[in-house]
Amino acid sequence: MKFNFFKKKFAWAIFYTILLTSFTLYAVLDTFVITRVYASVEADERGSDESIASTKSSSLNESENTYSDQNISITITEYREYDTNIYVADVYVSSAEYLQTAFAQNSYGKNITEKTSSIATSNNAILAINGDYYGSQTKGYVLKNGELYREAASEDQEDLVILADGSFEIIKEGDVTAEALLKNGALQVLSFGPALVTNGSVCVSESEEVGKAKASNPRTAIAVVDDLHYLFVVSDGRTDESEGLSLYQLAKFIQSLGANTAYNLDGGGSSTMYFNGEVINNPTSNGKTIKERSVSDIVYIGY
Amino acid sequence: MYISDIKLKTAFIYLLASLFCVLFGAVYEYYSHDVYSYYMIYAFVFPLAAGVLPFVLMFLSGHKRIPSRLTLNLYHSGIATLSVGSIMTGVMEIYGTTNDILQIYWIVGFGFIGISLLNYVIGLFTRKK
Repeated sequence: MKFNFFKKKFAWAIFYTILLTSFTLYAVLDTFVITRVYASVEADERGSDESIASTKSSSLNESENTYSDQNISITITEYREYDTNIYVADVYVSSAEYLQTAFAQNSYGKNITEKTSSIATSNNAILAINGDYYGSQTKGYVLKNGELYREAASEDQEDLVILADGSFEIIKEGDVTAEALLKNGALQVLSFGPALVTNGSVCVSESEEVGKAKASNPRTAIAVVDDLHYLFVVSDGRTDESEGLSLYQLAKFIQSLGANTAYNLDGGGSSTMYFNGEVINNPTSNGKTIKERSVSDIVYIGY
Repeated sequence: MYISDIKLKTAFIYLLASLFCVLFGAVYEYYSHDVYSYYMIYAFVFPLAAGVLPFVLMFLSGHKRIPSRLTLNLYHSGIATLSVGSIMTGVMEIYGTTNDILQIYWIVGFGFIGISLLNYVIGLFTRKK
């Protein structure tokens, strides 16, 4: 009797259509909507407003494009290259502790997202860019501010490691464990890529792209010039005003600014640069509306 | 249009499913900012190669035996699962994300097709006796 059900034409067709549709709906919700929090970052780990206020000295100097105090100096410059607006933050810090990362909603988990500007505001960031969007992948190291959250390796994944002294190192997850990186003093691991510049030389080919992308796009990248001197780079794209950059164009541009090591972060609609309380680029997913996309994490300069 | 042969009728339905996959993939790719996925582009291959082709061949070869309802149900379900799985994998790839539960489409899809083919072959031998 039970077995006969499988032999009925329409009953089985209706049953299986409902089953397949339900499963597909669940897969979509599980991938894009259902939120799971695996760990929360405690407020005291991020510093209090009082301590930040006291650290910012009376030498604070802010303008539309610059910020400087006793520990941090930032200058924003807008370039026009490859029919694209590119925003560069030239950053000097007195210690690598001011180069930080933060999770959306200060939580590590699945489908936890928030706009770059919102994460930046809640972490008192002076300058921020979107990070590696760890939440879109099930593998790849997640190591933020000296805490290891995910150690599942993706063999060929190229990561940027920011060490305690502020230096950058490019590694492959297949070659070293997340535990070993932590033991060796890694403060941050960014798992997106690829590396754009190493030892001052461009290391992407003209045809190389992220995943399955094959066109110019909005981009986000981070680079180190020399000791505690960094570049945060974001380009517009997908609009009539700005075409966007290929990885090779991005690498050539950053190399021309004197970068020693540069690394590509999540781009496209995620690309956002926040400075002194405002988003300064034109983030867009579809090229028509200028709107920030919610992301998993940011890289920022702040106390 | 009236198609009397069940095998041709089945092949025609699979052809419509293939065309739907082609159309869906083309529209999705058009709005994906040049981010492509072979799973999305070639999702139509499942209903075309595993649906249209065998049923047309069965018709042309004058094959008289129609597989049992159980075999057909499992086979059609398998192809539907693989086609939807391919499109879903394409959606994830284009978005730039992954989800392990997508493997279920491939396991169930190929599993159903495997069981249905096994059932078909067993049926051929047992009926001969």
